[in-house]
Amino acid sequence: MVFTLLGGNLIQGLLLGGVYGLATMGLSLIFGVINVVNVGHGQFIMVGAFVALTMFTALGLSPLVAIPVALIIGMALGFLFFYTVIHRLIKAPELTSLLATFAMGILLEEVVKLIFGADFRGYNWGLGKITLAITTIQMSKVYAFIGSVVIALFLYLWFSKTRLGTAIRSVIEDNEGAQVCGVNVGWIYALSFAIGIGLTVMSGVLLTMFIPVGINPYMGGVYTLKAFVIAVLGGLTSPYGAFFAGLIFGLIENGAYTLFALIPGVAPFPLTVSLAFWILFFLLLVKPTGLLGK
Amino acid sequence: MKKILPRYYPLMPVLAAYLIMFLIGFFMPGMWQMVALLAFYCALGQSWNIFMGMTGYVDFGYVTFIALGTYGMSLGITYFAQYEWLGIGIIGIGLFFAMFLASLSALLESFIALRLRGAYFAIACIGINEGLRYFIEGARIWGGSEGLIYFGALVQALGRDTVNQLTSFWADFSVFIIAALAAFLNIHYMRSKIGYALTAVREDEDAAKVMGINTNKYKTIAFLTSGWLGAGVGALAWGLKLGHVYPGDVFVIHYTVECIVVVLLGGAGTLMGPVIGGLIYGLSKYWLAVIMPGFQLLVFAPIIIIIIVIAPEGVVGLLKKRLRGTKLEMFIE
Amino acid sequence: MSLLKLENITKRFGGLVAVDKVSLEIEAGEVIGIVGPNGSGKTTLFNIISGVYSPDEGNITFEGKDITKLPAHKRAPLGLGRTFQIPRPFSSASVRENVAIGAMFGTLSGQVSVDDSLKIADRYIELVGIETQKNKESGSLTPVEKKLMEIARALAMKPKLLLMDEAMAGMNPKDIDHMVEFIKRIKGEEEIAIVAMVEHIMRAVVGLAERVIVMNFGAKLVDAKTEEALTDPRVVEVYLGHPPDESKWKSEIWKKE
Repeated sequence: MVFTLLGGNLIQGLLLGGVYGLATMGLSLIFGVINVVNVGHGQFIMVGAFVALTMFTALGLSPLVAIPVALIIGMALGFLFFYTVIHRLIKAPELTSLLATFAMGILLEEVVKLIFGADFRGYNWGLGKITLAITTIQMSKVYAFIGSVVIALFLYLWFSKTRLGTAIRSVIEDNEGAQVCGVNVGWIYALSFAIGIGLTVMSGVLLTMFIPVGINPYMGGVYTLKAFVIAVLGGLTSPYGAFFAGLIFGLIENGAYTLFALIPGVAPFPLTVSLAFWILFFLLLVKPTGLLGK
Repeated sequence: MKKILPRYYPLMPVLAAYLIMFLIGFFMPGMWQMVALLAFYCALGQSWNIFMGMTGYVDFGYVTFIALGTYGMSLGITYFAQYEWLGIGIIGIGLFFAMFLASLSALLESFIALRLRGAYFAIACIGINEGLRYFIEGARIWGGSEGLIYFGALVQALGRDTVNQLTSFWADFSVFIIAALAAFLNIHYMRSKIGYALTAVREDEDAAKVMGINTNKYKTIAFLTSGWLGAGVGALAWGLKLGHVYPGDVFVIHYTVECIVVVLLGGAGTLMGPVIGGLIYGLSKYWLAVIMPGFQLLVFAPIIIIIIVIAPEGVVGLLKKRLRGTKLEMFIE
Repeated sequence: MSLLKLENITKRFGGLVAVDKVSLEIEAGEVIGIVGPNGSGKTTLFNIISGVYSPDEGNITFEGKDITKLPAHKRAPLGLGRTFQIPRPFSSASVRENVAIGAMFGTLSGQVSVDDSLKIADRYIELVGIETQKNKESGSLTPVEKKLMEIARALAMKPKLLLMDEAMAGMNPKDIDHMVEFIKRIKGEEEIAIVAMVEHIMRAVVGLAERVIVMNFGAKLVDAKTEEALTDPRVVEVYLGHPPDESKWKSEIWKKE
């Protein structure tokens, strides 16, 4: 009985993991290209969640439509933040870009709070469920997973096959070498930042399938921590590593939740959230470069 | 009369500022609350500055120390109130627990600092904060998410009159003491071997090691000092006043943001910086709360960004540059 | 007992053998030069001696004590000083403060106060000739001034063994001669017993070193008295790519120096 429960939760975890992975790809991309860690990462996910929420409740549009909208909004935000703030800080010490992205995240929270209020909201994209042998899963979650895999695959192809994608990869590998080959690194920085943010916001849309009632301006913080753990797990500069690490993290998270729920006298949900930190700590002890990294 | 060593001259304007603040609060009616708030921010800024200004490591989860301080005090009170013979000593016990918990956290951060630098360290510290908060809630220790209500125990231990005195005056006064202590430690470290070592660590850690500097030892000293001060603020300013502590109230990242604003405004790594920053920020917050309640962060987030981009050295940093080579230089640090 | 002894030191980075079974001995009071083409492992060797890298094989003995596993920061107080190929000043600190750091944590560690260290710093700053820059932020110095500060800082540590990694790179011939005289003077004083130099500038090597070690591809090629080492046909082959026409070459090199 426990095992069917565990199995069911693991599958749910895998589905969620895909979304986590997609979200973290943005973080790894930005770090790999510009060497900036986006501490406001979770807040961009939150923006995506609100995009999906608004489009569904106010405009009656399905989240599938919200995905490209989120991408556009994300990239727009990305370019905006890049050219106003980030681009001046590339040569500055790490602390400044940390603080700047941190402040950006806070700004997003406050602006969203201003517009939408601080209450917890949610919506239900009722598509029905699908039953497998050991569990029932909502179709919306399955769609979210498929969505994340499709986008990740698309990215993989884009990076390997297109000129622009290759240019970005070259900057990750060797900044100066790329410049010497004629790559306009400044523009690549901006583009990569924008794409990274766009990915993050998109993942926020997909995430809403898993948090039916939890959407609020302050939801982002927890996801920054999780994304960071996943990024370290997957090797900080590898977007692909991030995706697979996301899947693993989703599995661990849900598996742990199931086990915690069996222990009497503890609250499994907050305990699972603190798990991210314990994983990070364990990683630091054992292999600081990440399980899949070099 | 003992000759004041010239190395401590920069402490004088700071202590003068605190003294003036205290006198204003004490003698002018109605000003105590505001002055206490200003002192709170100065103390926090001064304490965080020892950590960040000296080592260059940014602790985004600094609030953990304050929270643990508060918990330490409340745990002490809750469990020792029954021993009425302790009297006022119970505060000492609470403080001891606060320092103990803070030490654990500081050592943990020290350990993490071995493996991570820069951005990763910063985020790992957020991780400590979130991890601790949710662990307390999840494992249901220390009252879990409902926390501890220890006001009753405090009254039981000390009597209603003493408690009133504490909450209305002594708790805030102790913040002044901590601020002054933090300032003193700050300048003391800066001018001593510790300060030189940390400058080297901050600029070039590997070269520092080759020069013979035990980088971990000095980082740990800075972390511990900063942590104890933060815990002290938590234990005394919050612990004695709140009466009820729960995770969602104390492990709150936005206090770290406030530390950052205070230190950045005034100038990171300087002595006067946190004081100036604390004053500017505290006053602004106070007035904003009157004019536009609930909007503080909305206003301050872009301000942080602007300061970072335009004037990363802060007010005192700019002042230092202007005054370099003049007689006043020895008073500004 | 030799001052420094390396036995079969080997260091690999992935598939690359950066230092290949190098053994050498340095006596107190010697000046030895370490030369070799770029990439021959000289700086890596220095990094191993000062503790930045730990060797994969072999051991290091300093004054009879095995320091192979000793962390870098414990080697300095024993008397191991070092300058870097590309100077590494503590940029936001002043020149005076930088050099004082050397004094505080070197062999005098624990015996000098901050004020004493600053006085020691003043002395060495004057010695290398940059007193005018004493209070300036070290990050704003010219490259040559930075090199001089590196040296002053290393000297302030009162080392018994000073490793100088390409200290003269980028200097004009007049400055090089000045530095050579300077090092001869330091060598004479009791505090610094020995200087080991890695150099491409043969003028300096010939002027100072009694013994030269030539490295190539991470391994020690030759270890002999200066004149012998530099005229060894194997060494010439390493630099020129082919064995020398002996008679012609020998006279050429000694004509110039």
